[in-house]
Amino acid sequence: MNKLGRGQRDKVQQFMLITGASEKVAIQVLKASDWQFEGAFDIFYSHPHLKSVADTRHIEELYNRYKDPYADMILADGITLLCNDIQVDPQDIVMLVISWHMKAATMCEFSKQEFVGGLQSMGIDSLEKFRERIPFLRAELRDELKFREIYNFAFGWAKEKGQKSLALDTAIGMWQLLFAEKQWPLEDHWCQFLQARHNKAISRDTWSQLLEFSRTIDPGLINYDPEGAWPYLIDEFVEYLNENGKGKTSEWNYTK
Amino acid sequence: MNQREIIDFHEGWKFMQNGITKLKSILEGAAETHFTSEEHIMLYTTIYNMCTQKPPHDYSQQLYDKYKESFHEYITSSVLPSLKERHDEFMLRELVRRWQNHQVMARWLSRFFFYLDRYFISRRSLPPLMEVGLTCFRELVYQEVKVKVRDAVISLIDREREGEQIDRALLKNVLDIFVEIGNGLMDFYEKDFEDAMLKDTGAYYSRKASNWIVDDSCPDYMLKAENCLRREKERVSHYLHSSSETKLLEKVQHELLFVYATQLLEKEQSGCHALLMDEKVEDLSRMYRLFSKISGGLEPVSNTFKQHVTAEGSALVKQAEDAVSQKKTDKKDVVGVQEQVFVRKVIDLHDKFMAYVNNCFLNHTLFHKALKDAFEVFCNKGVAGSSNAELLATFCDNILKKGGSEKLSDEAIEETLEKVVKLLAYIGDKDLFAEFYRKKLARRLLFNKSANDDHERSILTKLKQQCGGQFTSKMEGMVTDLTLARENQTHFEEYLNNNPTANPGIDLTVTVLTTGFWPSYKSFDLNLPVEMVKCIEVFKEFYETKTKHRKLTWIYSFGTCNVNGKFESKTIELVVTTHQAAALLLFNTSNRLSYQEIMAQLNLSDEDVVRLLHSLSCAKYKILNKEPSTKVISPNDVFEFNGKFTDKMRHIKIHLPPGDEKKKVIEDVDKDRRYAIDASIIRIMKSRKVLGYQQLVSECVEQLSRMFKPDVKAIKKRIEDLITRDYLERDKDNANLFKYLA
Repeated sequence: MNKLGRGQRDKVQQFMLITGASEKVAIQVLKASDWQFEGAFDIFYSHPHLKSVADTRHIEELYNRYKDPYADMILADGITLLCNDIQVDPQDIVMLVISWHMKAATMCEFSKQEFVGGLQSMGIDSLEKFRERIPFLRAELRDELKFREIYNFAFGWAKEKGQKSLALDTAIGMWQLLFAEKQWPLEDHWCQFLQARHNKAISRDTWSQLLEFSRTIDPGLINYDPEGAWPYLIDEFVEYLNENGKGKTSEWNYTK
Repeated sequence: MNQREIIDFHEGWKFMQNGITKLKSILEGAAETHFTSEEHIMLYTTIYNMCTQKPPHDYSQQLYDKYKESFHEYITSSVLPSLKERHDEFMLRELVRRWQNHQVMARWLSRFFFYLDRYFISRRSLPPLMEVGLTCFRELVYQEVKVKVRDAVISLIDREREGEQIDRALLKNVLDIFVEIGNGLMDFYEKDFEDAMLKDTGAYYSRKASNWIVDDSCPDYMLKAENCLRREKERVSHYLHSSSETKLLEKVQHELLFVYATQLLEKEQSGCHALLMDEKVEDLSRMYRLFSKISGGLEPVSNTFKQHVTAEGSALVKQAEDAVSQKKTDKKDVVGVQEQVFVRKVIDLHDKFMAYVNNCFLNHTLFHKALKDAFEVFCNKGVAGSSNAELLATFCDNILKKGGSEKLSDEAIEETLEKVVKLLAYIGDKDLFAEFYRKKLARRLLFNKSANDDHERSILTKLKQQCGGQFTSKMEGMVTDLTLARENQTHFEEYLNNNPTANPGIDLTVTVLTTGFWPSYKSFDLNLPVEMVKCIEVFKEFYETKTKHRKLTWIYSFGTCNVNGKFESKTIELVVTTHQAAALLLFNTSNRLSYQEIMAQLNLSDEDVVRLLHSLSCAKYKILNKEPSTKVISPNDVFEFNGKFTDKMRHIKIHLPPGDEKKKVIEDVDKDRRYAIDASIIRIMKSRKVLGYQQLVSECVEQLSRMFKPDVKAIKKRIEDLITRDYLERDKDNANLFKYLA
C-alpha cells in the first residue's frame, strides 16, 4: 500500500468496500487491470478463489429478514422488502440479473439455497454492498455474451412451473423489458404479430432463436433466408411484415 | 556343269523393252496378239538370269530402276497428255480407262520382273513392284489431276441432286481410284475428295433449307428432309465409299434440321404444337425420327408435348369445374356424376397420349417423362374442392359396388381398374386416396354392396404391386375380417342352439372387425331399444367364451335392421339402419314425438338426428309425418307415425345417405401424416446424429414421397415439436444444425 499513489490507494479502498476483497487481492487485481474498475471487477468475479468468503453469517441474517413466515423461502412480500432495501423497483430488469446470479428456478420466489448461494457468488454480505453492486449488475446487460445468457435464462425463470412453454402475455412482457436494454426496432411489430396471429404459448426454441433473429437479421429483412432453419413462427412473422409492406424497404430509422 | 552365257545389260534390256513395247500397244488398243506363254517365260527368265548372274553382272538394281522408269516414260508420254486434253465427264472416263490400263500394265510387268520381288526388294528394304507402279501413277497422274477430277465429280453429284440422271458406274469407278490410290489408307479419299464433297453438300443443303423453311409447312419440310436423307444414303450405296455415310448424313441433318430446328418446331400453323392439336400422328412420327438424329433435337419436342398434355388435362379440369358449379347447391358436397365423367376422361386422355409415346415417339424416355410430368401437374389440382385422390376413390367405388353407375363387362372392369391404378402413380397424396378408398371399401363390405369379390381382390393386388404391401395391408385385413366374421357367426349360431337360455329374442348377426384395419369411427352411445339390449348382452357372453382379452366396441351406425311396420293397409318389412330402427321403435310407445324428445331419447348428435329423421319423413318413403311438412328438418318439428303409409312392395329399403366423410378423412390423414413425419425425422436423425436443416428436410421429403408430398412448413413444425419433446436440439454455434438426443 505504501508504494501506491493516493489515487490508487483510494481505488483500493473503494474496491475492498464494494467487493469485500482483502487488500492484497484488491491491489493484485487492480494492478492487473491497469487500475481500471471495470476490468478489475471482471477479473475479480471470474476468479472465485480471489473472493474472500463473504461472511455467511451476515448472509443468513439477511435471508431471515426476507424469508416468509410459513415457508423456508423468500416469497413476494420478502422480495418487495428486499427491493425497498436495495432501492430498486421490483419491475426493474436488474432483478432479472440478480435472479440469474442466484440461478433462481422461477420468478417471484427464492429458495434459501438460491439466495444464499447467489449472494455468496456475488460476494455480497451486506445491504450496503448490495446497493453498491447494483450499477455493476446493470452493466452486465451490455455485455453481449452475458445478455444472451440472461435472456435465455429468463425463459425458464418466467414460465410456470411444470409447463414447457411460456405464456404469451408473460413472454411479451419479458421481451419488452429485455429489449428496452437492447433496442430492437421490430419489437413492437413482433408483439403485435403475436397478439394478432398466434395467441398461443411460446416454445423455448422460438424464444432463443428470436434473440439470434434480432441480432443478425436487419430490420429491412434483406438478409433473411426463407429457406433457413428459423422457427416457423419467425417465418410467419416475416410473412406478416411483408404483407403489411414493412419488409425489404430501406426506409428504416433505427438505432443500432 | 552348264556354263550359262552372261547376258549383257543392254542386250538384256533391249529384249525386255520389246516386251514392254508390245504390252503398251496392247493397252493402247492396237490389234496385237497377246503374250504367249513362251514369250512370258522368256521375259521372266531374262530377268531371272540378269539377276542371278555373278557380280559385276548382277543387274538387280538397274533392272529395278528401269522398271520404275518404264512407268514414268509411259505415263509422261501417253497418259498425261490424253488426260490433259479432256474435261469434265470425258476426262473422268479417260481417267478410269487409264487407271485400268495402268493396273494391267503393273500386273504384267510385275510378273515379268517377279524375281526382283522375291529377294532383291527385301534385301534392300525397297517397296515391292506393285507398289512402285502404284506410286508412279499416284505421283504423276493422280496428284496432277485430282482437283479437276474432284470438282467434276462433285458437280455431277449436284446435278443428280437436282434430278438429272448421271452415270453412277462411272462415279463409282472414279471414287474407287481415290480409295485404291491409298493402298490401304483412306487418307487420299478423305482429304482429296470427301472433305470437299462434304463442304459442297453442306452449302447445297443450306441453300435449299433457307428456301424451304420460308415456303414450306413443317410437315412438308420434314418430308423433304426425310427424302433428302434417304437419297443421300442411296448415293453412298451407289458410288460413295461406305465410310462417308455417317459424315454425309450428319452434314445433311445439320443443315436441314439442326440449324432450323427451332423455326421448324415453332411454325405457327404447322409446327409441333399445331401437329399435336390436329393429331397428325404420322407427321409427329416423322418428326420424332428426324429430330432424334440431331443432338438435343428431342428436348424441345418433348417439352411441347408436355405442355400440350398439361393444357389438355387442365382443360378437362376446368370443364369439370364448370359443370360442377352449375350443380344444385344442395348436392354440392357430394362427388357426383360430373366428377366421375372427369375421371373417365382423364383415363382416356392418358390412353391417348400413352399411345403417342409408344407409337409416335417409340417409347423414348424423354417422352415418358414428359407425360408423367404433365399428368402430375394437373392430376394434383382437384376439381371443385374435391381432391383427385377422392375422385379416384369414388370412381373405384362406383365400379366395384352393386348398382354402381358404371355398367361394364368383367373384362372392361379389370381394364379400367388397371388404368385407375396407373393414374394413382401421378397423384402426390397417395395416402389420402388410401384413406378414402378404405372408407368406401368399409361401406361396401359392411352393407354388402360389393358387386364382385374377385374384382375387389384384383384391385388390391394391383395396388399392392404399384404402391407396396404396406399400402394395402389394412385393406386386405378388412376383406379377411369379413370371412372370419362369417365363421364367427356360424359359431354364434351353434352357441345359441346349445344354450336355449341365451336367447336374444331377435335374429341377430354380428360382424366382429379388427380395429386396426378399419377406418376409425366415432362410436355413439346410442340408447338402444330394449329389444336390442338383450342381443348385445347375449353376444357379449358368447364372445367371452371365445376370448377373454378383447374389448368389443359397438358401431351401430353400420348396422342394419329389418323392422315390420304394421300400417293400416298392410304390414311392410322395412330395411333400415340401426339408428333408423331405434328412432322408429320410439313410436311404439308414443304416437307423437318432438325433435328434441327424439334426440334426447336416442342420445345422438344433431347432425345424425337430422339426417335420420329426414330419411324417414322427407324422402321417398314417408314412414313418419312431419309438422310442419317442409322439406327441411328443424329443431321445432314434431313427428308422428304415418299409419296410412303404403307401397305396392312388401319389403322396402329406406336409404340413409352417409354423412360428410370428407372432412374426417382429411383430418385423419393429416394426423397420420404428422406421425409419419415425426417417425421419418427421428429415423433420419438417429442414423445421422448431426444434420443440417436443409438436408434433413430434403431427406424427409424423399422418404415420405411414396405416400405423400409433405409440406415443408409441416416438417418444420414437427422438428420444433421434437425439439420441445427433447428428441433433438439445435447446435449451440450453428442454428441451422440439429443434433439427435439419445
